[in-house]
Formats: sequence, C-alpha cells, structure tokens
Amino acid sequence: MEADRPPFEDLYGEYLGRIYAYVRAQVGAAADAEDITAQVFMNAYQAYARFEARNTTPSAWLYRIARNATLDHFRAHGRRERLRRTVEHQRVIEEDPAEQAEERIQYRSLLAQVAKLPERQRDVITLRHSGLSFDEVGKLMRCSEDAAKMLYHRALKALRESVAKEGV
Amino acid sequence: MSQPPDDTEDLALQALQRQLDDAFETTRPRPGFEDELWLRVQQSRPPQRRVVDALAAFFQGITEVPAVPLAAVAAVLVVLIGVGIFAYSGIGRGGGAGGGAYLSAGQSAPRNGELAPGTFGRVPTPVFGSGTKATAPQADTVAGAYLGPAQYTWAGALDVTVTSAPVFRYFEPSANSADQFASALGAVLRGRPAGFLGAYDASGYTLKVRGTVQTPPSSPAFFIFSSLTMPPIEAAGAGPQDVADIFLAQHSLVPQWAYTIAVDAGADPVKVRYQRQFEAPGYGTAFLVDFNGERYGLEVDLSGGNRPVLASGLLPLSLDVANYRIIAPSDAIQSAIASGASSSSATPAPAVKLTKAELVYVLVPAGDHSFYEPAYLFSGTLQMNGTTLTKRVLVPAVDPSQRKP
Repeated sequence: MEADRPPFEDLYGEYLGRIYAYVRAQVGAAADAEDITAQVFMNAYQAYARFEARNTTPSAWLYRIARNATLDHFRAHGRRERLRRTVEHQRVIEEDPAEQAEERIQYRSLLAQVAKLPERQRDVITLRHSGLSFDEVGKLMRCSEDAAKMLYHRALKALRESVAKEGV
Repeated sequence: MSQPPDDTEDLALQALQRQLDDAFETTRPRPGFEDELWLRVQQSRPPQRRVVDALAAFFQGITEVPAVPLAAVAAVLVVLIGVGIFAYSGIGRGGGAGGGAYLSAGQSAPRNGELAPGTFGRVPTPVFGSGTKATAPQADTVAGAYLGPAQYTWAGALDVTVTSAPVFRYFEPSANSADQFASALGAVLRGRPAGFLGAYDASGYTLKVRGTVQTPPSSPAFFIFSSLTMPPIEAAGAGPQDVADIFLAQHSLVPQWAYTIAVDAGADPVKVRYQRQFEAPGYGTAFLVDFNGERYGLEVDLSGGNRPVLASGLLPLSLDVANYRIIAPSDAIQSAIASGASSSSATPAPAVKLTKAELVYVLVPAGDHSFYEPAYLFSGTLQMNGTTLTKRVLVPAVDPSQRKP
C-alpha cells in the first residue's frame, strides 16, 4: 500500500544529491553522472509502486538501482573509455561558470582516484561513503557484513596509496 | 609527530575517510539539474495518473487550510524573523571596511565572564602546510607558490616590537546560526546536506553554509552560487571592485571586518578578494592567511566582468579575545630557518632566501571552538624551471609556554 512508503518526492529530495555523488565517484565525468542519475530516478519512479518498505530500506533500494545503472553504463561504454575519461578529467558540460566555481570546492580529484580503483574496491568505497551500513553494502555486493568491512579496509588502503602516488 | 607506525597509518586512513565523507557530501549536480530532472520524472507519468495526482493534491490542499487566521501566522513569522535578524546583528548592514562588529561583541562582553584576557588556557599549536617535512619536491607548486621542502636563509628585516598579541576564539556555529544567517539574506532552508550546516534557496542563487573544517583548516564559510537567471550588475563605468561592492551591498554581505581588496583580473571569472585583517595593538593590521600562507576573507567571482557567479567568505561570527605573549622576532627567524629541509637529504631541496616577514593570523581548529592565532609569515622567491615561485614559511607566534604541544 502507498501508506507503507514515503512520497516519491521526499525520496527524490533526500537522495538525488547523494545518488549523484555515488554515480559521479563511479564514472568520473559530470555529464555521465547526470545521465545515469536521471536514468536512476526515472527507473525508480516507474518502479516505486512495486517498492515494499518491509523488504528493504528506500536508500538500499535506490542504490541497487543506481549500482545496476552504473554497471549498465560500463557495459555499454567499456571500461577503457571510462578510464580514459577519468584520467583526462574530461568534462562535457562546462558552460556555467557558477558550476565550475562550485566544482572547485568539491573533491573532484579524490573522487577521480576512487573511479580508478578496481570495480569491487570502488563499489565498496562509494556505497559506504554514500551512507549505507556495512550490512547494506554486503547485501548489495552479495557478501557478508564482515567481508564488506574487510573489503572496505583494503580498498581504503589502496586508495590511500593511489592518492599518495598521484599527489592528490 | 612521533606516532608508532600503526597509529600513523590509522590516522592517515581516518583522515582519508573524513575527506571521502566530505567529497561525497559536497559533490552535487549543477544548479538547476534537480528541477530539470523532476520535470522529466513528472512528465514520464501516464496522463491518467497525472489527473489523479492533481485531484489528490487539490483535495489535500482543501483539508490543509489552516484553522489559525493567516494574519496571526504572518504576525508570528514577522516576530520570528525579526528575532533572527536581531540575534544575528553582525550580518552586513552595508557600510565600508573596518568596524569590527563581530569582534566588538566578543571584546566588550566576554561569554559569562569566563574569558578574561589571557585566560583561554594553553591554546592549540597550529599545523601548517608549508611542506617543511622532507618529501620529494614534485608537483609542489600551486598558483605561483612553491609548497615543497626547501632550505632557508634569512636576509630581511622583521619589524615586530610588540611582545604580545591578541588570540581570538569563536564557538562552532550551529545549524541554527546558519539558518539565522540565511534568513537574514532572505534564503529559505532546502536541506542539510552532510558537511554543511544548511543549503538554502533564494531568488537568483543558492546558498550553502559550512562550519569549521578541521583538515585542512578552513574557517566557517558561506557559498553563494548564482543561478543563470541572476542578471549582471549594470553600472556605467564600474570596475570589478565596484561591481563586487554593489553585489555585496545588495545582499547585505559587506564585510564588517577590516580588509584590503585584491583584484585578480587575469582570467574569467575575475576574482575580487576582500582579505581579512586583524588588529594587533602596537603592530597594526595583520592579514588572515590559510595554512599555506595565502590571504583570505571573502571572494566575489565575476563572469564577464559584471555577472557574479560565486561569492564565498567567512561566516560572520562573534569572536572572544585574549592577549598572549608572542616569541621574539629573532626566535621566529631561527624557527623558520630550522624548519627547512635537511641539507644532507638524498634529494637536495632548493635554497630559498627569505626576505620578507610579517605578523599574520591563522585558523587553529579545536573542536567545538577554534582560534585565530598570530603567526609569523616569512616569504622569499626561488626559480624553478624558469619560473619565479614564492615560498612561504609560517611559524607559530604564541609563546610555546602558552601553547599545547
């Protein structure tokens, strides 16, 4: 029943920015992140009637959709292209100086390093820092909570080494 | 300093986690994307669903007509907004430089009498980013500044005759104080994204307010991002500084602290910087600098010379003040030279002749309250790959006996 779940508008307001950040950390480029985020919320809106709050939290449900959309993106565009764009820090939408200004105070370089991590390390970092519990991360990544914690710790160390090497 | 390896690694990982939290919390889509996408989502509904939703919204509107007379609600709102503005009286009322409105509140009325001069206790020691620790000097240049290690000699004059200087303290701003700041600007709370005290919408721009950032140390700040609908400021014959002044006056954001203005017109957007200064009795004014020695305060970025795209600056805060003994210039010079890289290092660091020095202020975060403490800023130039770079060295000025190690 609809009473079991919050209005979709609330979900949209609360999670749009967080989902965008998650996707952005995965794909690196702002334009791709916008496209994928748009797809996530269009899909979520269409599927919201079937969402059952007693089975999962809205955030875990949304992040599952976002994760699938990101994987679809990689399948469609290929990892090589993703890496190229990440390395080159390519940005497609550059027309708004205010946007550029806002970008400056964001941690673009750090997220670019996250985007270069191997897939599972990237996954665990982005899901965890998007606010999901290790239990939720484990369920999404089809592993136990403890395995998610270990994977996260290893990923964090790998990221630290990568950051030190790149001088971010 | 001398952490065991495991502790050092844990601290480094914790710092990285905090950076990741900040990165995820502050990475957001461009302004306007949220509305554009919401429109697309709405348009994706089947037509019959749209009719049902519209009817539902209509009937919900009828059932939610307030029982309290609208005039009474308006009166309460007027009182609340008025109280907010009054409580935040430090927010710009126009006017020019100087004044020190935020400062005066703290100086004349120390909080509950607990802040008699000199009694903040031992203040925390600042941490600087001057690259004095031995690391490879690669890619250590930012905007004409060299941040890597160097060996120093001194060939200047440091004219500081005072033996004490004020230390300023502020208490960490709350979400409530950020809301008051925003409401005084006419901005409405949109949400509280993690990493920020609040995000707000106003006519023509969005506003974000942030508290103190521990690492790297950054002062509580506001960020105004103008939307594409914000019109340029048309003023015949006005230069960037005039345009920035007009913009700040229009939004009651003219700094109430002392400042000097620096205009960087070398690129688009043009940056107009209001560099904050603190008054150090007996010395004069001392600039506020970041952990790399760069001056800061408030900045207005102008695209095309007259369209404000970003205004970011120090969040107005009430400061308490206490006097602290400072080290002698000769001791500061010795500390600056001693902070240089070892000459026996495998990769010799470049030699820099420090020729200028001044008293400045730096932020020292300390949890629920933070400090602006005096420091000595030394600078000199060096040549690297045919480019002249500036090297800055910061030395804490508060006497070590009055600082926590």
